[in-house]
Amino acid sequence: MGTRWTKAAAMAVLLGVVAACSPGTAGGSGSTEDQGGPVTLKVWGWRQEDVAAYKKIFKLYEDKHPGVTVEYVPYKNTEYDTILKTGLTGTNGPDVAQLRSYGLLQPLAAAGSLVELDSTVPELKEFSSDVLDGARSDRDQKVYGVPFAIQTMHVIYNKDIYAKHGLSVPTTWAEMTAGFDKLKAAGVVPVAATVTDTWMLPIQQEIFGATRYGGIEQRDRMLRGEGKFTDEAWVASIGTWLSTKPYWEPQATGVGYDDAKAQFASGKAATFPGGVWEVAGFKTANPQLNIGVFNAPPAPDAVSQKTLVPGFVDGSFGVSSKTSNQAAALELVRWMAGAEFGQAFTDELQQISPVPGVTPKGEVLAQAVKDYAANPSPYLTYAYFSAGTPGAWDLASKELSNAVLGKVTPAQAAASIQRGVDQWFKPKS
Amino acid sequence: MAFCLPGAGLYSAMVIYPLLTALVYGFFAWEGTTRGPFVGVGNYLEVLTRYPISSELGAALLHNVLFFVGTMAIQNTIGLGLALILHRNPRGKRFFQTLFSMPFLISPLIVGYLWSLLLSPTFGPVNAALKAVSLESWAQPWLGEPDLALPVLILVNAWQWIGGPLLIFGAALGGIPQSLEEAAQIDGARPWTLFWRIRFPLLMPAVGVITVLTFIGCFNVFDLVYALGGTSGGPGGSMDVLGLLYYRTAFRGGSNAIGESSAVAMLMFVLIFGVALLLERLLRRREVQL
Repeated sequence: MGTRWTKAAAMAVLLGVVAACSPGTAGGSGSTEDQGGPVTLKVWGWRQEDVAAYKKIFKLYEDKHPGVTVEYVPYKNTEYDTILKTGLTGTNGPDVAQLRSYGLLQPLAAAGSLVELDSTVPELKEFSSDVLDGARSDRDQKVYGVPFAIQTMHVIYNKDIYAKHGLSVPTTWAEMTAGFDKLKAAGVVPVAATVTDTWMLPIQQEIFGATRYGGIEQRDRMLRGEGKFTDEAWVASIGTWLSTKPYWEPQATGVGYDDAKAQFASGKAATFPGGVWEVAGFKTANPQLNIGVFNAPPAPDAVSQKTLVPGFVDGSFGVSSKTSNQAAALELVRWMAGAEFGQAFTDELQQISPVPGVTPKGEVLAQAVKDYAANPSPYLTYAYFSAGTPGAWDLASKELSNAVLGKVTPAQAAASIQRGVDQWFKPKS
Repeated sequence: MAFCLPGAGLYSAMVIYPLLTALVYGFFAWEGTTRGPFVGVGNYLEVLTRYPISSELGAALLHNVLFFVGTMAIQNTIGLGLALILHRNPRGKRFFQTLFSMPFLISPLIVGYLWSLLLSPTFGPVNAALKAVSLESWAQPWLGEPDLALPVLILVNAWQWIGGPLLIFGAALGGIPQSLEEAAQIDGARPWTLFWRIRFPLLMPAVGVITVLTFIGCFNVFDLVYALGGTSGGPGGSMDVLGLLYYRTAFRGGSNAIGESSAVAMLMFVLIFGVALLLERLLRRREVQL
């Protein structure tokens, strides 16, 4: 008798809890804005460290648009995607939202949570098609955000070390490796590479291997379904990257991302192959560091004879389809596609703005923009083949680490990536 | 019976409810945080058949098994040895028990980061010390060598938890009546026989408890591996375990991450619960009564 009652009570408690917490109950009710009165636009984002900068940037807009207040509302980077997905389904969400690029944008665009901008933001016509790819929906090929930043990848180098050893920026692959040989002989680690943090490996592979597989042309063939990761050129680009292994720290397989950065920042290593976003961190870690960037010249047997600069769009600003201030929100993103926002963005945040005609003030950034504009190359695995599960970027991180360790050949690594991607990727006609 | 209600309520809300939701979530397709249609065992089939997660599941499970076997062999054997030494030499017993249990107080995440710093090939003091005593060939990229990473993980984990078997075996040894040991000695039992015939059978309840606890700990491990090898379990995934695989599915998965990660979580739960029960039964049978 006693146990039966206990069981019944436990079940009752359980059911009560389940009912109270059951998912799917939409919370919140919509607030109606007075269209004629003052408007507050909420801009959601994932950059908590940039709040002060955005306040300054949006002040420029508010000064010219009396009655409009723009508020940047940041969330924790790692939680942002989930919060945004929920926020965009109700009217308590953002008016304008910072959107991730490429693959991560797809579910939001497909769910109808965003307003398409091709027809309403004419300024986008000035942007290059490659840049707009970062904010384009795979489903209807429409653009759903105004791109705000471009990230480029380079061989970041220590100018003082290069000068001390009589080296200049290499113009050929042989010149680059001869420089590395000279540095190695002098007891300097030529390349601060990391293997332990495997997500860095696709970046390193692009930096040294892009010319070997050819960059944009290979991407376009692959998007049309005529090319694959298993193509000779892409497989060989893994070998090209691995051919720099003698210049890495001898025990690079145990070197983490932070260790590699510390090696470069402390002047123990001459170069760090990585994204332009690292530069600010290096400057903070060691203000005396004299930093420059160059890109790997065409490798032996390279498909492209240009010194390619890999890059990708970091994100964009889009308009929620649920906002009650759609006109004001569209006005704001149009401004974000213009030179005033672009210049303020690059000046305040030390990042590359994709707005045509905007030039950054810093020497390193200006160099990066110039080189990327001249010879752009895609971040193939991350940008174009990671919209489904499993994404090529995740697969490449794993398989390239296996290739470094000699557990698989480059051909096997490429076959594994292709096998994963084939499960969901549909070529574009 | 009424005494049980607050406890039962809390337990239901904190343990049974999340378990049930994971079970329910696993039967649906998800679009981000929005629940989609009922798919039955679709998510289970997906994680068991889609490349590469299907092969990663097997590899991660194998690493968990090796981690468990290695921990039993090293941590618990050394723990038993230390407990025996302290049992025989009660001087300083409390001191050493406290000393060996100190790492309990540090979060496994911090232990992991500390050891990854110590073992770093570029700035770490371990390799620097080896080089200083001309043992350069012994200096290794400890966490970057696929064959070394898992043994290093086992050792670091043992460094943190060796106090557990030490305390439990110590208490169990203290519970063995001295008259039994003396009687065996008078009958001419050598130390080896004394241990295997008298002490060890009487330690079986402690062995059982420690085995089950070690099993659960080794199969649920996440934070230490995450700190030592990142989300992919180090180069070549040599330290990839089920906990990391779950994390990747849940937080780096596609739009159906909730559905698929719930399926992974349920598979882990069923495995751990089932094997823990089985272990308990098997070991209970070997216990002897005084």
